[in-house]
Amino acid sequence: MAGGDPKLARLLEHPAIWRGRSAARKSGLSTGFAALDELLPDKGWPRTGLIEILVSRFGSGELSLLLPALAALTRTAAARWCIWVAPPLMPFAPALVRRGVVLERVAVVGGARPVWAFEQTLGSGACDAVLAWAARPRLRELRRLQLAAERGRTLGVLFRPRHVARESSAAVLRLALEPRPNGARITLLKGRSARRDALDLSLEDEPTCVRA
Amino acid sequence: MRPRLILAAVPGARPARPAAPLALRALAQPPLPAAPSAGELWAALHLPGLTSHEVLAQLALALQRFTPRVSLEPPDGLLLEVQGSLHLFAGLSGLRAQLAHACRQQQLALVLAFAPTPRAALTAARAGKSLQITDRAKLTGQLAPLPLAALRWPPETCERLARLGVRTVGAVLRLPRAGFARRFGAAQLTMLDELTGRTAQVRATFRPRERFRRRRELLYELEDHGRLHAALAPLFKALDDFLTARQCGVVELECRLLHRQSPPTRCVLALAAPCTNAARLAELLDEHLQAIVLPEPVRACELRADAPLPYQAGAHGLWQPGEHGGEAGAQAGELIERLRARLGSEAVHGLAVRDGHRPERAWEVTAPPPVVPPRRTAAAAGQERRPLWILPAPQPLTVQGGLPRRGGPLRLVSEPERIESGWWDEGEIARDYYRALDIHGVRLWVFRERSAPHGWFLHGIFG
Repeated sequence: MAGGDPKLARLLEHPAIWRGRSAARKSGLSTGFAALDELLPDKGWPRTGLIEILVSRFGSGELSLLLPALAALTRTAAARWCIWVAPPLMPFAPALVRRGVVLERVAVVGGARPVWAFEQTLGSGACDAVLAWAARPRLRELRRLQLAAERGRTLGVLFRPRHVARESSAAVLRLALEPRPNGARITLLKGRSARRDALDLSLEDEPTCVRA
Repeated sequence: MRPRLILAAVPGARPARPAAPLALRALAQPPLPAAPSAGELWAALHLPGLTSHEVLAQLALALQRFTPRVSLEPPDGLLLEVQGSLHLFAGLSGLRAQLAHACRQQQLALVLAFAPTPRAALTAARAGKSLQITDRAKLTGQLAPLPLAALRWPPETCERLARLGVRTVGAVLRLPRAGFARRFGAAQLTMLDELTGRTAQVRATFRPRERFRRRRELLYELEDHGRLHAALAPLFKALDDFLTARQCGVVELECRLLHRQSPPTRCVLALAAPCTNAARLAELLDEHLQAIVLPEPVRACELRADAPLPYQAGAHGLWQPGEHGGEAGAQAGELIERLRARLGSEAVHGLAVRDGHRPERAWEVTAPPPVVPPRRTAAAAGQERRPLWILPAPQPLTVQGGLPRRGGPLRLVSEPERIESGWWDEGEIARDYYRALDIHGVRLWVFRERSAPHGWFLHGIFG
């Protein structure tokens, strides 16, 4: 086996040699929170793929967590759409504008058949990010969603209740979020990262938007 | 050997000379000594009192069985080149009778005139004279007694000519050409030349609007939607050929499913932009058909596209959307149409901010955002803190000891923000807004009514 051969190992360190593993080294999308960037595998949200955010209660700060990155995405020169699929309430436009989101890039899709709509939007290639609220997609559907996100080069964010953490999932990244008095506690449930400890973030003072 | 061009193989036949395009004619100096109207015979139909273009087009369509060269002369005239058709309709008199019959069927009054040039025929018909001029040599002589008004020149021109004592076509033709052109304009002189056949008049041939209608009788009755897709496939193939051949796209497509007893089930597909891709149309129609409940099994299906539009293909980006900043153009439009086909047209919408302090009226639902990103982005308004989620209507909260509760007591964590506005219309509000934490730590946006019952309401969630 060549794995232990020091000469081969040295040869493989040559920068001209491309190895499959190096394709995984890609830069993520900054979350706008330095501490969270440190925690996440790609130093930020992945730009492509399905991620899940599990919350015990709706409105625990999950949207505030995501919004700086969304705002940055909508402000890029060739921004694609940012679609909200089946949000439980109506997003409040003035608040989005205040956080730096360009509303001309935002569309809302109604609540019937959220999983189907989520898959269509993810796979269309017309969106930079798709947020979706769906309580119980099946594992098979989650796998399809992940494939659709890769096909459309889209970041898909699925918000689900906290208690599904035990179920398996095809998402590339899974976070759990609990409200804290001044922010939220974030636990990484799935994702390539050394750290598994919880992270307390302050969401109280609205972070300034990161520039893309 | 010198190459020779054989213009006509049949003895006596005249060489066909196509009329040059207008732009070329304008460039050619001096004008071509043209007599392309030689051997033509034009029938002019003057339909007094007709104003509707629809009726005129309809009649033109009906008259295309006499000749392919039908052209419109709005608002009340039609011109037909009938030289080649004379022997098919028992000569001039037979054709005259048949044309009159065709107009009678549509309940239209008719004056019919024949002449070797289109303008001469039209002028005669408009003068109310059913002339039948077949000999070019006699053309000018026959036209001479017609009144000037039949030319439909501007009234002031006719008036000036009348003051000169010129009241008939013959008199105007006797005027010196150079002086006439200087006084009354070159356009009028050209018209006179067209009248006598000195210059050929290019007539645009009427083309009826094309439409696609295809029906397929099924060998057996279909009940499930899955098989319907396969049954429609040949029709979509035909539609694809139709659209490709004509460089057309459709914005509206109708599918009819015919049953044994019930009236046909109709399914109309309306698109935002002309679509040329039949496969995509099939996919969209499929979404519509999924939602339809069939009253009976389907015996036949029919596709109709009544108004194909000329389609101009746009340029496509080199990069795929998402890579190297490639823009999402076509994908975005397709996505919206697919979502709307399945979920209903109001299911997809955009958001916009409106001016106003009242939270209910500070935003609105708009059409989905444009495909192309805006170049200039509006600066974020320096507003107060607002929640990311807004409730459709304020939700009353239970109150204990003057303080709001939601599952437990709410903790108010901000100073009140007073919003008092809208006294000029129905939606007057007077509220003190607070940020509040519930027992689970969820940040809420609540308010207290300033007026009498001083109720507490939940209006948003900070999220």
